[in-house]
Amino acid sequence: MSQLLNVQDFTLGFAGRDPLLNGISLHVDDGEAVALVGESGSGKSLTTRATLGLLPERSQHSGTVAVRGLNTLTARSAELLGLRRNKASMIFQDPRAGINPVRTVGDFLTETLVRWRGLSRAEALERAVEQLEQVGLRRASELVHQHPHQLSGGMLQRVMIAAALLDSPELLLCDEPTTALDVTTQAGIVKLLRDEQQARGMGMLFITHDLNLASSLCERVYVLRNGRVVEHGSAREVFLAPQEEYTRQLVGATPSIELDRVPAVPVAVEGEEPILSVDSLSKHYELPHGDTLTALDQATFTLPVGGSLGVVGESGSGKSTLARLVVGLETPSEGTLRLGVVDRPDRPLKARERKLLAKDVQIVFQDPYLSLDPRIAVGHAVADVFRLHQKQGRRQAQDSARELLGRVGIGPERFDAKPRALSGGQRQRVALAKALAARPRLLVLDEATSALDVSVQAQVLELVEELRDQLGLTILFVTHDLAVVSRLCSQVLVMHQGRIVEQGPTARILADPGDDYTRNLIGSRPRPLWDRDVITTP
Amino acid sequence: MTLSLSLPQQGLRRYTSALSPLAWAAVLVVAVVVAVSVFAPALAPYDPDYVDLNNVLAGPGAQHLLGTDALGRDLLSRLMVGGRTSLLGPTLVVLGSTLLGLLLGLAAGWSDGWAGKVLGRAFDILFAFPALLVSMLAVALFGKGLVAPIIAMTIAYVPYVARLTQGLVVSERARPYVQAYRVLGFRTPWVVLGRVLPNLIPTVGAQSALNFGYVLADLAALSFIGLGVQPPTSDWGAMIEESRGALLGGYVLPAFWPALVVVVVVVAVNVIGEEISDRIGGKLS
Repeated sequence: MSQLLNVQDFTLGFAGRDPLLNGISLHVDDGEAVALVGESGSGKSLTTRATLGLLPERSQHSGTVAVRGLNTLTARSAELLGLRRNKASMIFQDPRAGINPVRTVGDFLTETLVRWRGLSRAEALERAVEQLEQVGLRRASELVHQHPHQLSGGMLQRVMIAAALLDSPELLLCDEPTTALDVTTQAGIVKLLRDEQQARGMGMLFITHDLNLASSLCERVYVLRNGRVVEHGSAREVFLAPQEEYTRQLVGATPSIELDRVPAVPVAVEGEEPILSVDSLSKHYELPHGDTLTALDQATFTLPVGGSLGVVGESGSGKSTLARLVVGLETPSEGTLRLGVVDRPDRPLKARERKLLAKDVQIVFQDPYLSLDPRIAVGHAVADVFRLHQKQGRRQAQDSARELLGRVGIGPERFDAKPRALSGGQRQRVALAKALAARPRLLVLDEATSALDVSVQAQVLELVEELRDQLGLTILFVTHDLAVVSRLCSQVLVMHQGRIVEQGPTARILADPGDDYTRNLIGSRPRPLWDRDVITTP
Repeated sequence: MTLSLSLPQQGLRRYTSALSPLAWAAVLVVAVVVAVSVFAPALAPYDPDYVDLNNVLAGPGAQHLLGTDALGRDLLSRLMVGGRTSLLGPTLVVLGSTLLGLLLGLAAGWSDGWAGKVLGRAFDILFAFPALLVSMLAVALFGKGLVAPIIAMTIAYVPYVARLTQGLVVSERARPYVQAYRVLGFRTPWVVLGRVLPNLIPTVGAQSALNFGYVLADLAALSFIGLGVQPPTSDWGAMIEESRGALLGGYVLPAFWPALVVVVVVVAVNVIGEEISDRIGGKLS
């Protein structure tokens, strides 16, 4: 039997431009889990799609991509159809994008069985239910009659995995299948994929930007950069003893929890008021049909001047609501929020109050592509803030903006650049400069590095640390990533379903969590295969 | 490596083909019609109102390129000069309705409370009245001519712009960059007029270009039923109306030429509007 997946010297690109993929060679054997690791634009998705014969329109290519000896680059469409039905299945990042929202889960799962495998509707439904149970979904016989919107993202991804497994594929292609999911959900999906792959003896090609995740699931790793394979080998070797400079950087930039690197809790100055004190703060939203949603439930904490507090939680935990309350984008429903010496009123802020608040607290948002005004050149965006807050004239404001941008690593040649001409990391630096131009005392970072590649994230985090020390900023860092918190925050606050479940010094909480949810959160972090036996669950 | 690199012609064609041939043709048509209308008094071969009863309903020929109407007036000259009133009306209506619609839409989109809801409902009610009906009412109240229909049409076309603007503002204000402006302490009028409004202009402009075609056709229709531009002023709609008698007598051309120009201009303007809206990501349906 010929090799399961064999890619030889695969090059792909468009005429007149640099190739997107440049001489890629890799292989996946039966029963083997292989990771394809790379940052955005490295070509990992293109490579995987080519495996199913999905090539960008009008692209030119050379080399071979063979699945069981069938070259998908030259195969006829009938052969490709056979390949996709019988040999290879793919799971995508966003499960909701791949399922018809108006048809039931059962319809989705049984369609191929009825149309191509000639099963009757009843038989097909029975198989679908079996398969759903196998991927760990309970009440499967009811689930098949439900619609996608009634399922959570994690459940839906299990449905997609079930659909992929129904075809009994020999090769399973996974394109970042857990990136859109919470950490605890991700842990379940990863275990499921690993178990199924082992039990069925499938070959698996797992695409991810996350080295930790790759090492928790795959024996072998290919590291991609700019369309080339930079390094490959056993996951353990690549991860622990990287040969290439780029891989070393990537491993170094990948966030990990290192308890000895956690910043120390600053010594409280006697008699000094905390910069932020929150007492029984709640936020309710009125929903249609008279329901109320409690996004934040009785939060109580203080943040001393010069401190750094990490707010950790999964989606829906209320961490972003807390951040938005602090910066005044939301109005508290109950409780008190005291910033400096000012109590926050329980009504929307007036223009004058907003301007005063701006000098105390600023925020950097998650998405670097949406948080800058697309029409305004970055230098002028920063200069505008100087003119508003520091009462500077046009000239002086531009000079100040140039200096501040230089400090966050944006050179003067980019002063007149529009945001779209900048990379994600550069945009986030500009957003940081814009916030700092108001000279706030407290800086809120709302998942400010989550959308960035790991190497860029590491640089931005370094910059934040540097600025914090230079400017004496107090930091409120909202994130889902415990590793990032361990690096930047001396104190941490864990949130779950709108409530603070645990808070205290970062080092203590990570080493000895007191709450079940915190333990679960820490335990859900991907752990390398070779470490499984050594480390016992904390 | 067999990948062939660098085919500059293809790269070049990507840019020149940025505008589709159809859009190029539409731009050319509109440019020519506007230029001819503006310079009509100098360009027109005859006085458009000169009656030559010895030469009525003449076919196209060397003397009168497009022929003459029932009073012997030169059709080409009347078309050229008629373009001035026929294009001026829609231009004023589009400018007026865009300006008003933008302001009302911004106000409706930015206010959370009852003001936004009331304005939104008001747009819906205005939608319910066909532009032509409102114009006929205005003519009944203020008398025939160009002024009453233009005011009425302006009001009738405000909701198209306002509704679109309102929707855009609602989605725009939820964006992080607008929220960042708020957290930075910038005043609301500065954010709305100085920062959000310019980001809406391309989309609203596309809608207004589409409106231009409809208004042109509507105003021509008003003139045709005798409520718009009054004789002897030349206007495309009025020209068709004046040709009704000749049409019944078997003379098609005096009505055909102005009708053709109206159709061509409306189609061309629509093509341009569609092109703009495609380019900004098909935000208009």
